[in-house]
Amino acid sequence: MPNASLISLDRVTLRRGGRVVLDGISLTFTEPRIGLIGNNGSGKSSLVRLLNGLLAADEGRVVVHGLDAREKAAELPRKVGFIFQNPDHQIIFPTVVEEIAFSLEQAGRTRREAAGEAKAALARFDRESWADRPVHALSEGEKQLLCIIAVLVMEPAVIVLDEPFSSLDLPTRRRLERLIAGLPQQVLMIAHELDAFDLYDRVVWLHEGRVRMDGPPVEVVSAYRDMVEAEAGG
Amino acid sequence: MISLYLAERTWLHGVPAGWKLLALALISLAVTPFDSLPLMAGLVAATLALYASLGRAAFAQVALLRPMWPLFAILIALHWWNGDILLGLVVSLRIVAMILIANAVTMTTRMDAMMDVIEPALRPLGWFGIPPRSVALAVAMMIRFVPLLFALWEALNESWRARTGKRGGWRLLAPFCIQTLRLSHHTAEALAARGGVFRGERR
Repeated sequence: MPNASLISLDRVTLRRGGRVVLDGISLTFTEPRIGLIGNNGSGKSSLVRLLNGLLAADEGRVVVHGLDAREKAAELPRKVGFIFQNPDHQIIFPTVVEEIAFSLEQAGRTRREAAGEAKAALARFDRESWADRPVHALSEGEKQLLCIIAVLVMEPAVIVLDEPFSSLDLPTRRRLERLIAGLPQQVLMIAHELDAFDLYDRVVWLHEGRVRMDGPPVEVVSAYRDMVEAEAGG
Repeated sequence: MISLYLAERTWLHGVPAGWKLLALALISLAVTPFDSLPLMAGLVAATLALYASLGRAAFAQVALLRPMWPLFAILIALHWWNGDILLGLVVSLRIVAMILIANAVTMTTRMDAMMDVIEPALRPLGWFGIPPRSVALAVAMMIRFVPLLFALWEALNESWRARTGKRGGWRLLAPFCIQTLRLSHHTAEALAARGGVFRGERR
């Protein structure tokens, strides 16, 4: 019986377009806050996409909170909430309340229930006034918050964030970081803002499809920085 | 033709979507057989009065007619050529009124309310294996992405002008299509991440 509160990748290999993106990776995530760092193309985004069935491993096994990613791919989206880099790619509906209600309908609620619960969710975040707002009128930070609310209402066990701060200013980013810090879910985050991981439990550094280093944030982040500086200098 | 939903509530927001769509259908049927200039001018005036009653933000949306002036100019010119400039005016005014009335409905009706009305009409599609929910989703996404695509075009135009000093025009078409495909790829992925539209098989 697999542990219900853990993510495990066992000798996972992923190829895309003839290129090996992940090369026999084995990782077990039990910590509540995990960061993923590495250069572009190191395989970070592909790795997190294995966790909710957006990509399927060519070799090896992925288990997410008791669900085998291959056999139970259809159940993964409710277990693993995904926040993408650009909220504009993620928001599907013209108004805020519809966007949240869609998640709830995906989780099996009727349209009427979904609309009611969506408003309640906005109220929990003190954003009741947003309900009928057109999404294009929200700021980048507000859009990102909407994406998070829309994911949280599905009550996932894990939240994956793929470079969520890219288009945010510093105050908005800080607010979002505080919000993420307070979530009860297991969080797996990719970011290039390395100080965002200061309070995380663990950081994994991916390099060319392999784990280059894995450990406490301070050590891994500074080792990564050193490598980047050395390469830039040489 | 698709305009933006009006965030601030007006009295027209309170009218049920079904009534608004019915009124729209009846008005467009009713005005088609008439070619009277005073009648059409009256209809346009009444429509403008409707917009005025909805507040400043609504009235500002009359500007959506601006890109259509060339069309009206051509319409009127053609009728003038035919020796009936009056008819050209009537036709143009009718189009103006219908666009504005249709827009008044879309800017005061939430997408889900609209779909609740339209979905029963889509039900026969189910007989051909097309789920009405997917159609409803497609319509909602279209409304959502129109402003986004405008913004995308503007961004491309800006980067073109930043480097050439001229407007991009038709030359932006190819990059625009590529960017739109990229956007649709990202959105499809985000939709799949939330469980997709169809349950079951997924890569």
